[in-house]
Amino acid sequence: MFRRNTLLSLAIMLGLGVLTACGMLSTEKSFAGTHPQELGAGRPQCSSCHEDELKGAAKTYASFNHSSTFVKDHKVQSGQDGNVCATCHAQSFCSDCHAGKTVMKPSTKLGDRPDRATPHSGNYLTMHRIEGKIDPTSCYKCHGRANNDKCTACHR
Amino acid sequence: MTQRTNVVLLAALITATAGAQDVSVYGTTMAQMWKQDISGDKRTMAPAAQYLGIDASQLGTEALSLHLFGWGRTDLGDQSVPGSKSAGDLTYGYLQYRFAEANAEIKAGRFGITQGGAMEQVDGVSARTDLKGGFTASFFAGKPVLYKNLEGAAQKDYEYQHDFIFGTRLGWRMSKIGELGLSYLQDGTTAAKDLHVPSPVDYTRRQMGADIHLVPISIIDFTGRTLWDMAKHDEMATAPSRIAEHDYTLAVKIAPTFVVTGNFTERNFQAYFAGTNMPNLFRQTELGKHRGYGINVVLGPASAVQVVVDYRNTKRDSYGEANRFGGEVRWTIPESKLQTGLGLHRVLADNVISIDDRVPTYSLSHREIRAWVMYESGRYSASLDGIRQSFDDKHNPSLAGVSSQYEFVGSLGARLTPSIKLSGDLSLGANPLFKKEVRGLLRAEYRFSMARKGGK
Ligand code: HEC
Ligand code: HEC
Ligand code: HEC
Ligand code: HEC
Ligand code: HEC
Repeated sequence: MFRRNTLLSLAIMLGLGVLTACGMLSTEKSFAGTHPQELGAGRPQCSSCHEDELKGAAKTYASFNHSSTFVKDHKVQSGQDGNVCATCHAQSFCSDCHAGKTVMKPSTKLGDRPDRATPHSGNYLTMHRIEGKIDPTSCYKCHGRANNDKCTACHR
Repeated sequence: MTQRTNVVLLAALITATAGAQDVSVYGTTMAQMWKQDISGDKRTMAPAAQYLGIDASQLGTEALSLHLFGWGRTDLGDQSVPGSKSAGDLTYGYLQYRFAEANAEIKAGRFGITQGGAMEQVDGVSARTDLKGGFTASFFAGKPVLYKNLEGAAQKDYEYQHDFIFGTRLGWRMSKIGELGLSYLQDGTTAAKDLHVPSPVDYTRRQMGADIHLVPISIIDFTGRTLWDMAKHDEMATAPSRIAEHDYTLAVKIAPTFVVTGNFTERNFQAYFAGTNMPNLFRQTELGKHRGYGINVVLGPASAVQVVVDYRNTKRDSYGEANRFGGEVRWTIPESKLQTGLGLHRVLADNVISIDDRVPTYSLSHREIRAWVMYESGRYSASLDGIRQSFDDKHNPSLAGVSSQYEFVGSLGARLTPSIKLSGDLSLGANPLFKKEVRGLLRAEYRFSMARKGGK
């Protein structure tokens, strides 16, 4: 396994080397690795400070506004522009809701933040039997391949 | 990874931070307590948890950084979680190199990755870069992080099949118009049918994905993706479709404070549940599909009064239809640092046909009300959160004859210094057996940054 990983890392470096050598890499300057400006509390509306386009993503800043739709449905953006999210969010921010193994449900960890969009508030051990019956596919984003530690006591 | 390699890796990574120019350490320490009474079996639960993260940047060169995050939990009272009284996990620990051009970056170690249809935790390497002509390329490979949820032979099979994970995505962007992407993911190289003794459950995945984000004019924002299950299933003849998922969302920004969003999803159970390690719950043998569509209307700015009205219809072939509708109001008063919200929802759902003769059918319909308020002023903060669900049919066997349940959480916090915050929560609710339960929680959050400006 170790050998395979090492070989792959080498292959990737080599791949990047070839791309660079062939002049295929973009020559655009990378955007800042961490957001230069500290943001206030609450969900940021990028377009209140930024106009126009986030060059490294070729999209308008407005398309990253943390509207209620964005917060509910951020899968495509994170699949396309994960590096943009990383300018502000450490992976630990995502893992509050998305960890493969974790300590407690997000609404308990963030019990002092009712403004956050944490799943599973209230007595979810009861509610989940209703929501899971109606749509088990909505759970599979977070449970079913990972984050099953609390389930196996009842589901075998 | 074994426990030992974890410790060695951790030690090596932490040592590496010594050379960093800028290190921040952050974490949350929590202690919870509640008394549990299940039919006379009384226990006192007192789990304590520690989350800890380290970000160290400019390790020798500007572009190299290190990121670590993990947690540990231990029961100071009776055992609170099935399994063991203590547990821990390294969520991630990786080195990252960012190039000055092309937004190129390389990661090595344990990391989480979202890329096209993939959302994985991997011990390995990843890289991404922008190419000329609006193209982007990214890939990752390594050993998938394994979880221990199965027993005996099944766990062995799962670990054997999950020897290797590989994913790649190619994207194409057109300035201010949007992006198209194609991705591929292979998780595990030996499928169940290739084992010496073919196993009934396949833990591997081969998945293709296509994703789109279109903003043709500033008032339209269209995102979506389709995933295909590419694995060879012997029993595929019976499966209705290789399409695992369609999920598309169209937002029309009629005005900055008036947005209408429509969403459509369809998921085929066999294809979508590929790779599950809970095959009895997320059943690939359920050959039907789930489909949903919904609409929501957002009125008002997020910085003042915002109203959201939503409706969603879903249909699961093996069960039936459900309609969920309702609304939410959020009111933010920035000068007084006060935020409050109220949500009301109604779910009208088809009856479940059960195998129990005493309750041949029962309803899942219910209503939910949630209200919360949060106040933050200088050093102090306070919040109150209440949720109540009432059920149309208390004969639902999940409800033990109860027709409603509620939970209230109150929290008080104080910021001792700019980098340390303490808070305490008290919650009042019921356990799954509908016995009253009071829980207490203490939380300390901290973040320390040590920047060494101007050379080592
Ligand atoms: C309070 C104002 C404010 C808000 C809100 C804000 N930014 Fe920024 N952002 C800045 C400032 C100031 C800079 C540094 C100057 C610059 O590059 O424009 C910056 C820089 C950036 C950069 C680095 C640009 C570069 O070329 O290096 C990115 C990327 C970025 N912001 C993304 C976002 C996104 C995405 C959002 C919304 C989720 C957002 N910002 C919200 C103020 C803000
Ligand atoms: C410019 C900084 C910035 C960028 C870039 C950014 N976010 Fe955020 N995001 C924030 C802030 C600030 C919050 C509010 C956190 C809080 O309330 O504690 C937030 C909140 C969130 C939330 C949680 C909302 C809630 O109420 O619980 C999600 C989910 C999220 N962001 C996802 C993303 C994703 C996905 C991306 C990349 C496509 C992204 N963010 C990019 C700054 C940013
Ligand atoms: C407050 C909780 C929360 C936080 C924080 C959060 N998410 Fe999510 N995420 C969700 C929920 C809920 C869904 C499911 C949404 C749906 O029904 O489509 C989701 C879905 C996703 C998906 C789609 C998964 C799949 O396989 O369908 C991705 C990818 C994702 N989130 C990435 C991120 C990233 C990256 C971050 C951090 C920047 C993040 N999320 C932070 C709650 C959260
Ligand atoms: C955005 C990710 C996400 C989604 C989507 C999600 N969950 Fe969870 N869920 C979590 C996390 C994180 C936990 C905490 C796990 C832990 O404590 O070990 C959790 C915990 C739970 C628990 C245990 C609750 C408790 O009180 O201990 C149940 C039951 C549950 N989820 C069921 C579901 C069901 C059913 C669905 C689909 C209707 C679902 N989840 C969807 C993230 C998610
Ligand atoms: C305390 C026991 C218990 C725990 C813990 C538990 N469940 Fe359940 N779950 C149930 C019961 C009981 C049902 C109802 C079964 C039925 O109606 O057929 C159920 C139903 C479900 C369903 C609907 C199944 C279907 O196909 O209709 C899903 C999905 C589900 N649970 C997911 C989870 C997940 C994910 C977790 C862990 C995060 C979890 N459950 C933890 C007891 C539990």
